[in-house]
Amino acid sequence: MSVRDLLSPFIAWKHLFREPVSIRDPFNREASERYRGFHQNDVEKCIGCGTCEAICQNGAIDMVIVEGVEGIKTRPGDSGLRPRIDYGRCCWCALCVDVCMTSSLTMSNAYKWVENDPDKFRYIPGVDKKEWDNVKQGYHRPDGHRLNAPERIEMPELEPAERIDSFVEIVGGYSVEQARLEADRCVTCGICVATCPTHMPIPEYISAVRDGDYERGLKLLYDSNPFSQICGKVCTRRCETTCAASHEGDPIAIRWLKRHITEQVPYEKYRDIIGGPLPATGKKIAIIGAGPAGMTAAFDLARKGHEVSVYEARSHAGGMTRYGIPEYRLPFETIQREIDLIVSMGVEMHYDTRVGTDIQMQQLQQDNDAVLLAIGLWLGRGTRIPGADHPHVYKAIDLLRRIRDGEQLEAPKSMVVIGGGNVAMDIARSVARLQKQQQGEINVTLTALEDKAHFLADPVEIKESIEEEINIIDSRGPQECVSDDQGKLVGLRSWKVLSIFDDQHRFAPTYDESDEQLHPGEWIVEAIGQMSDVSLLGDALTEKLEWDRGRLQVDDDGHTSEPWLWAAGDCVKGPDIVSAVATGHSVATSIEAMFEQKEAQNA
Amino acid sequence: MQTLISQLQTRFQLSEFILQRDNLAFVTVTREQLRPLLLHLRDKEGFTHLVLLTAVDWIEDNIFQLTYLLGDRTAGCDIGVRLMLPRDVASMDSIHDLWPTAATYQRELREMFGIDFPESPRVDEDFILEGWTDLPPYRRDFDTLKYSQESYVDRLGRETKDPAAYMKLKLYPDEDNDG
Amino acid sequence: MADAEFGKADRSQYPHRRPDGSLDIDLTSGKYLKLWQGPNHPGITGNMSVELTVCGDEVVEGKTHVGYLHRGFEKLMERRTFIQCFPIVCRICVPEPDFNEYCYAAAVEELAGLEIPEKAKWIRALILEMGRINSYLMYLGGQAGAFGQGVIGQWTTYARDLMLDRFEELTGARIYHMFILPGGVRDDLPEGFDERMEQTLQEVERTLDDVYDTMFRNAVFKKRAVGLGYVDPALVDEYGITGPVARGAGVARDVRKDQPYLVYDQLDFEPVTGRESDVYARADVRRRDLLMSVDLIRQILSKMPHKGEVMATLPNVLHWKIPRGETYIRGECSRGEYGYYLVTDGSGYPRRVNVRGPSYTHAMALLEKLIVNVNISDVAGLMVSLHTYPPEIER
Repeated sequence: MSVRDLLSPFIAWKHLFREPVSIRDPFNREASERYRGFHQNDVEKCIGCGTCEAICQNGAIDMVIVEGVEGIKTRPGDSGLRPRIDYGRCCWCALCVDVCMTSSLTMSNAYKWVENDPDKFRYIPGVDKKEWDNVKQGYHRPDGHRLNAPERIEMPELEPAERIDSFVEIVGGYSVEQARLEADRCVTCGICVATCPTHMPIPEYISAVRDGDYERGLKLLYDSNPFSQICGKVCTRRCETTCAASHEGDPIAIRWLKRHITEQVPYEKYRDIIGGPLPATGKKIAIIGAGPAGMTAAFDLARKGHEVSVYEARSHAGGMTRYGIPEYRLPFETIQREIDLIVSMGVEMHYDTRVGTDIQMQQLQQDNDAVLLAIGLWLGRGTRIPGADHPHVYKAIDLLRRIRDGEQLEAPKSMVVIGGGNVAMDIARSVARLQKQQQGEINVTLTALEDKAHFLADPVEIKESIEEEINIIDSRGPQECVSDDQGKLVGLRSWKVLSIFDDQHRFAPTYDESDEQLHPGEWIVEAIGQMSDVSLLGDALTEKLEWDRGRLQVDDDGHTSEPWLWAAGDCVKGPDIVSAVATGHSVATSIEAMFEQKEAQNA
Repeated sequence: MQTLISQLQTRFQLSEFILQRDNLAFVTVTREQLRPLLLHLRDKEGFTHLVLLTAVDWIEDNIFQLTYLLGDRTAGCDIGVRLMLPRDVASMDSIHDLWPTAATYQRELREMFGIDFPESPRVDEDFILEGWTDLPPYRRDFDTLKYSQESYVDRLGRETKDPAAYMKLKLYPDEDNDG
Repeated sequence: MADAEFGKADRSQYPHRRPDGSLDIDLTSGKYLKLWQGPNHPGITGNMSVELTVCGDEVVEGKTHVGYLHRGFEKLMERRTFIQCFPIVCRICVPEPDFNEYCYAAAVEELAGLEIPEKAKWIRALILEMGRINSYLMYLGGQAGAFGQGVIGQWTTYARDLMLDRFEELTGARIYHMFILPGGVRDDLPEGFDERMEQTLQEVERTLDDVYDTMFRNAVFKKRAVGLGYVDPALVDEYGITGPVARGAGVARDVRKDQPYLVYDQLDFEPVTGRESDVYARADVRRRDLLMSVDLIRQILSKMPHKGEVMATLPNVLHWKIPRGETYIRGECSRGEYGYYLVTDGSGYPRRVNVRGPSYTHAMALLEKLIVNVNISDVAGLMVSLHTYPPEIER
């Protein structure tokens, strides 16, 4: 200790002459740019998936019903719920912002809020108006900061060069490791379930993939979809269009994960896992058409113990999956496995039996307690342009059926396809393969009214078609199938499309007639839609039934105006496998309900 | 580290050995060998620093794992000595005479896990939970959620909806989606 | 011995010890008085009390009582997914929360086999040093305050507030930063951060100049602090003593040097040590360590890569499972060795998390030893010199 130690502290006096350092106006001090303050939510961007709630470790977030707010409605892809935050619990960690699937949830830099009532500190951001709603500063998820992987695990596929000269299946299927990684991306929100026509328990079976519990997964699949192996390969996967992950990345590969489950369980174990039929009830049902709708209903009803007979005009079951979808997308074997499984539930199959010719409707009505019409859409629609009656102008559906039936078609040197849907892609790609096999050269032109961005086909189909050297020309209106002097078809004359629909959204295409092209083709294939062949019903029944613009009219359960007759599948819902499965289920439920009702009346 | 462990292995009958990092290893030792091993590590091998002493409840195996983490600050490496104790006779010899500070750890383990260390100073005195009568709370079978639900009242006005269930209710209430 | 220097008799044998080693204190004799200091104790950042038995104005026995801040974090974490643990760990130590974030994140990364980007390491080190400065500034105010010098606390609080501004602009929060998460850090440095940090560092240095003149070169402070709370270097291992308490006793142990983590192997520094091992020596070690942190921040900002990712690719955190394993991660915080012992069992939740805070040993076994024969008025000063943050004792 020294004199210095006595004097040195007097240095403190210098602060007498210093400006105060405290903030003059503490009430209006703005917080920093990335400050984590009160939440904001862009409610129109928000889809109410509840992932914010799932990650909140404080339990501060509730998903609540919001009514009467513009832009918020329960619809496919949006639960209509919105997060409400309890600031008695929130710890401002912003994990909810980091995990938000749409980036709708952010934080402002506002931190002052005074109330007397503690229960006021609970509000629905974006719905309950707050003064910081439009504040730009505050925490937003930084670029590259993700709490889940945004990119899909790529599916192993054959390269175009490897696949173009054969009908070998293109898609290879995920390995266990790949499937787990893909399943891991799912946030288990369940938004997709409403979009699936048959409401498969998607998050649950994806969880089964994550856990590696494939038997549990298979049970979940077959409880809701007896066409799971087929849907695992060719489902239109509408679920993926509403997947929460699609907003800020790739949707989960739901279809491929379903496929993966079906591939991981040995086929011999399927039936034990799924379970056999209940004891026989003595009730009899006839089903016309062995496609997805008919066979789904057959599966459901047979498992209940009813006696089910399926009448199929062709030699194999599967309907459009068997005769409409090319083998490179769906091998025969997959279909056969599916059908065998359904038949094993005790379904009696009558192949090569055309109702109306080999057996009459009336007979079926007499012999059964219920009849289901699941006859699909087997008549191709035509363009009715001049020259469309030429023998080398085909309907896509007819050609596809002939190819799948094993007929050795001699492919034309060149071909034009009219249409931009999946069927158009299927025929274009099938004939391209035949051309490659037979001639070594591909010459297929595909024209459609729509521009490429609005094609009805799956984008993957379009991408793969281009890879396979299909010449896609969009926005072309077909005008004439042109033949030369000898009557040989030479190609399709088309005009440039200006618009497809009029102001009232009615189909009324307009063209630029000065932009005319001739697309060379020895064949022209029309792939612009299909309709049902209802001639089997006979005049009397056709007269009795109610119709809606050419389609058989049914109620929500597929019940026609006749008490004994139901209808399901493409012929009532339009072409889509998984929708057909859904209607198959609902008619089965409806038929079952009718039986129970009758039983109750008799008792 | 590797050589040290091999030497120890033969001398102290270590049953498990995991080299977690270049400078961190875990070994498992029997109850009889624990004290000689700790003494050896402290006095002969330079592991003079008792970093921590804690327990892990492997309730499914009916075992408490005690972890004595020793550090050699000069060499910058650590050894976690693990001892498996039957859960139903949870009692262990005290090491407060090797490291006086161990008494605090042992007192906490007694309170939080119900593992007794007879002879350890003040081991039965309340440490953190004065007046606690329930199960020792760090045991796996003590359910914190249940305890909190029984002890505290939830704030009114909180309810939440599951998005998928709510969508079913709104969009397809009559359809059966579970088979 | 410190006591000898003050000319006191060694009264550690008074009162008598019973055969079992406990003190034979007969409260009815009128010689002794029980005195509770706490739980709002002048010498502690947080709530803790000391049950003193005094004889005259001299402490004959002191027992530490904790539990006022127990929230059962370690148990709570067993019910939370790995990502959900991230926001709660910082609460285990209020004035210097970042070590919890770092140790937890590093433990998870090690067991999950996750490699973090280079730049994230630099930003983590930056944050840890910023936190150290704040912790020391708070300590200096407390140490001076325990001896009646209120003004020091006002100055250091001002400097700390400037550093909190830097925390706010970098991490988005002032106290609980929640910025270091498994996989890296949330974001890069904001635009112009270096310049503003430099201004803050200069202000910290200016403040410390004043603190040096008024606190360390102060006859009153010296009279109270020199010789008080002597820690025998031999106790360092016996009592698990780490950090400035050990370094004040001349034991040059600093995890940053002994087991370099993050980027400390690329920084130029030497552990700060003292010799006298009393309250004054420890305060001075911390003051110099604070200045070293100022220097380290300058080094970090100049050596840090300008570009690069700050976050590794995480698996979907909602289903994140980590294989069975265990590890221990430590860092050198302002009070000594801070560590996380993490045990995983292959599930999505930690099986066990054990937090080793330096206060655990310092404020319990060590304090109870040092407090004997201390004058009542010196108890607060002694306790502060161990730099105790009670929540890390009871967690």
